[in-house]
Amino acid sequence: MIGDALGLTTIAATAAGSIVGLFFGAIPGLTFSMALALVMPFTFGMEPVPALAMLLAVYSGGMTGGAVSAVLLGIPGTPSAVATVFDGHQMARKGEASVALGAAVIASAFGGLFSLAVMVLLLEQVAAVAIRFGPTEIFALVLFGLSTICGLAERSLLRGLIAGVLGLMMMTIGLDEIDGVGRLTFGTVQLQQGVNMLVAMIALFAIPQVITTFIETRADENVRGSAAPWPGDVRAEFPWRRLRGYWWLMVRSSGIGTIVGAIPGTGGPIAAFLAYDHARRFSRRPEEYGKGELGGVVAPESANNAVMGGALIPMLSLGIPGDPATAVILGGLLVHGLQPGPLLFDSNLDIIYALYITILVSWVVILLVQLWGIRVFVRVLRVPPHLLGVCILVLCAIGSYAIRNSVFDVYVVAVIGLFGYALQRMRIPLAPVVLGLVLGPTLEQQYRTALILSEGSHRIFLESPFAVALFALTGAVIGWQIWSSLRTGRREGT
Amino acid sequence: MLRTVALVCILLLPAPALAQYPQKAIEMMVLFGGSSATIAQILADALSKELGVPVAAVSRTGAGGAVGYSQVRSSPPNGYSIVWNSNSISTVFHSGNIDFDYRAFEPIARIGMEVPALAVRADSGWTTLKQFAAAARSRKMRVGISGRGSFVHLVSAALFQKMGVEVIYVPYGQGTAPAELLGRRVDAALQWPSQFKPQVDAKQLRVIAVTSPARIPVLPAVPTAKEQGYDVDLVMWRGLAAPKGTPKEVVTRLENAARRVVASPRFKELSATLGFEPAFLPAAEFGALVARDDAAIANLMGQLGLKKR
Repeated sequence: MIGDALGLTTIAATAAGSIVGLFFGAIPGLTFSMALALVMPFTFGMEPVPALAMLLAVYSGGMTGGAVSAVLLGIPGTPSAVATVFDGHQMARKGEASVALGAAVIASAFGGLFSLAVMVLLLEQVAAVAIRFGPTEIFALVLFGLSTICGLAERSLLRGLIAGVLGLMMMTIGLDEIDGVGRLTFGTVQLQQGVNMLVAMIALFAIPQVITTFIETRADENVRGSAAPWPGDVRAEFPWRRLRGYWWLMVRSSGIGTIVGAIPGTGGPIAAFLAYDHARRFSRRPEEYGKGELGGVVAPESANNAVMGGALIPMLSLGIPGDPATAVILGGLLVHGLQPGPLLFDSNLDIIYALYITILVSWVVILLVQLWGIRVFVRVLRVPPHLLGVCILVLCAIGSYAIRNSVFDVYVVAVIGLFGYALQRMRIPLAPVVLGLVLGPTLEQQYRTALILSEGSHRIFLESPFAVALFALTGAVIGWQIWSSLRTGRREGT
Repeated sequence: MLRTVALVCILLLPAPALAQYPQKAIEMMVLFGGSSATIAQILADALSKELGVPVAAVSRTGAGGAVGYSQVRSSPPNGYSIVWNSNSISTVFHSGNIDFDYRAFEPIARIGMEVPALAVRADSGWTTLKQFAAAARSRKMRVGISGRGSFVHLVSAALFQKMGVEVIYVPYGQGTAPAELLGRRVDAALQWPSQFKPQVDAKQLRVIAVTSPARIPVLPAVPTAKEQGYDVDLVMWRGLAAPKGTPKEVVTRLENAARRVVASPRFKELSATLGFEPAFLPAAEFGALVARDDAAIANLMGQLGLKKR
């Protein structure tokens, strides 16, 4: 079987899978979860190793692909790439798109390989830690993530908080996960499905930006002159040297990603936000974040790709999928008669090794394809912005439909997009809205599950030392933020 | 067998409208993710070989199936849009989330069953429902389920009612109940056997009962609740249905294709690896089963205060 992992079929399947994943990840609205579901039937007839190789490659390719549209278009290709937009897109606007993309690819591969190493060496230990994360601990972790709103609030803390609450509110629409009761549905079946996180993200990032572009283009007589600058020769800008100061950040972010990925019920977007905030907080130049700081690309990209290895840990060792994508891969294993779980390591050790090798090979393929691809991708920026805007609108419509095969979601993009534009005009930052979107559902669900476990007593949150530590940290972050915003007198008032 | 042959002969008779079907791709709506979606993909793949046209498994998840059911219901009843349905049609209706019930669909065939299983930790010392019930009387147990008002919630409610114990239902989505069980945050979990299989094989978890009328092939050593003196007979069926008004011949054509798929060794083999139990039931009997289960589910939901309609 190990021989199979390096066989021609497997390498071909890996390459094909990586490219399919990249493609789906890079186009806003097409997600790698969708690619996995589409590729799945093809793997039914394949041998186990190439079949698995293909699924895993789609997964890792998709995760890295998300950064491409995040950087170039300012729209996350997958929910996990959401934190990459903040600095990645700013870098592209400064003419450093190829640096940002190169750094993203390298950070992604680093994160992926880091989590692979953790998976190979510490699988059982990480699984044992992950399983101790119950609703209380996850709630505390997500609450800590929410405290990063302060950092994303830009100038005004108050406006940041308003934005965060709007994001949280948006995610309460639809049937709630616990009781199956419709909320804010106005009696319609369509609203019962709620607002899809990625649909809302596409709307918030793409639509206001396109509207602004159209308005500016009209105002600007010399249309061609307003085009974004061509970022120059890729090889001359190859980011090895720029990345020199960021290796330690990559290690830490990958660690965050691996752990968060291993906890069932969390996932890529949460890991990316935590890593981004962590990078900003420990940076010597925190004020540069959000304006095109390389660390703001490196941290979330290494974290969200490390999530992959992390999520595979409980899947392989316990048979419990950590996120929807690993759930599909789990299905792929089962179809081939491989039951993940404690016994897989006794009965099919060769498959496990083949799987490790496959992931390694897929990263090599992704690195090669992506580094070569950057030169092609960045040409997108040569397209005059107003024409690009039209293309983005079309992509948004197709993408938002494709996520759930729902025409209704296309209307949702239009409504939330216009809402986002209105917020932007009122100088309410959009990043905290997105943070609310990402964290809201998990926050609510874990909080309520914890209270169900304790029959309504809040004491359960104080019984876990880990949760208490996180609460303290959250309190410190908020307190420090309020203090510093008062001190610098940045508070805009009401 | 003779009946099948006869049906096939009738189908081959030159009745113009029916000899035509199917002419184009058929959409099979899938309402949930996870292993049932994988089974749906396998089924769609096999059906397209039987029918000679592509059968596409279209995923339309969300809102507990309400959206997908609504969409199929409003599709033209011509056999080109069918739904991979389950008892969820009853739970969704009685919880008040859609305003039509199983009668809005023509049953095509039952494809198989999934049997809920109650698992505890292997080190808990409980091996029978009686022991669990005794322990549950001295201390309120926490039982992991998939969301309130879900089918497994109803099944556990029925089971614990028969056992005469009160428990706390803890809803978990995304198949994480086994992790909660291993993490010692719940005392038992009622889920599909495939979710427990790895830990059961590794002797970390133990399944103490299944809620089917007879033992199931995946867990042959596990006694049913009925064997243990608690009369519960609730299993999740999965089958195919078409919008009301779909011509009889079209339904029959699909029914026969489904019959052949379920009988094929390949489908049986793949189902076994996914913990799914193939169990074909023709349209008429399937329809009767759906109606019977709907009444039972309505009754249970009424008792739990979950019935909104």
